[in-house]
Amino acid sequence: MKVVAVTSCATGIAHTYMAAEAILKICKEKGYECKVEKQGALGIEDKLKSRDIKAADLIVFANDVGISKSERFKGYEDKILQTKPHDVIKDPSIIFGEK
Amino acid sequence: MGSVNLAEVLLPEMVILDCDPFKDKEDMFDTMTRRFEEAGFVSDAKAYKRALEYRESLGPTYMGRFVAIPHGKCKEVLKPGIGFVRCKSPFLYESAGESGEVKYAFVLAISDNQEDDYHLRVLATLAGMLAHDEFLELLNQAANYEDLIQGIKALS
Repeated sequence: MKVVAVTSCATGIAHTYMAAEAILKICKEKGYECKVEKQGALGIEDKLKSRDIKAADLIVFANDVGISKSERFKGYEDKILQTKPHDVIKDPSIIFGEK
Repeated sequence: MGSVNLAEVLLPEMVILDCDPFKDKEDMFDTMTRRFEEAGFVSDAKAYKRALEYRESLGPTYMGRFVAIPHGKCKEVLKPGIGFVRCKSPFLYESAGESGEVKYAFVLAISDNQEDDYHLRVLATLAGMLAHDEFLELLNQAANYEDLIQGIKALS
């Protein structure tokens, strides 16, 4: 299983990075490949390449503010799970639809 | 997690271990914003408190697991910094329609100056560390400031 995610939040510091770590951590625990792009106060970090997006089984958008360069995800809408960074931090398993 | 030095922005005078629980979030903000001003991180504690409250209005900063991470960004922040408080027992923290028991609070002061990447990086690193059990365990166990900083260095 390959997971990619994009995180962002209002101030671009706290939730963006905490959610990113939470996603990386749960994927590691499950043995999934995972890449997380952070769109925060430091700009775009660990930017996802089109081949990452294409190869992904699951795309997680954990954003409070609009996603930059969202055109990269066009055509992959069926793989996208839309959530909020706050929700991911409180319960990372929601990205797999678990409760 | 990179070569950032959390000890540089988490100064001893900004760390309160084992204080009595706060009455509420407001009470905690008053204490912490005053400390930020006294330590020279912010020029005006009241303005910085308003920035914290503005951020609260956007969404919850209660993170579950007894942790809250309120943060404020405004021009009155002279240099970015972190305050940490560990209470003896939890207090009820209400944040943007959510509430929970909080024992550990990291309060971040973020400057308007977006060019200060290094300090932003430090704050971001700290936020990332909060997702890890080992870090939460350290927050619970650290006997004193030195212990906390050494533990953070070992984990980062």
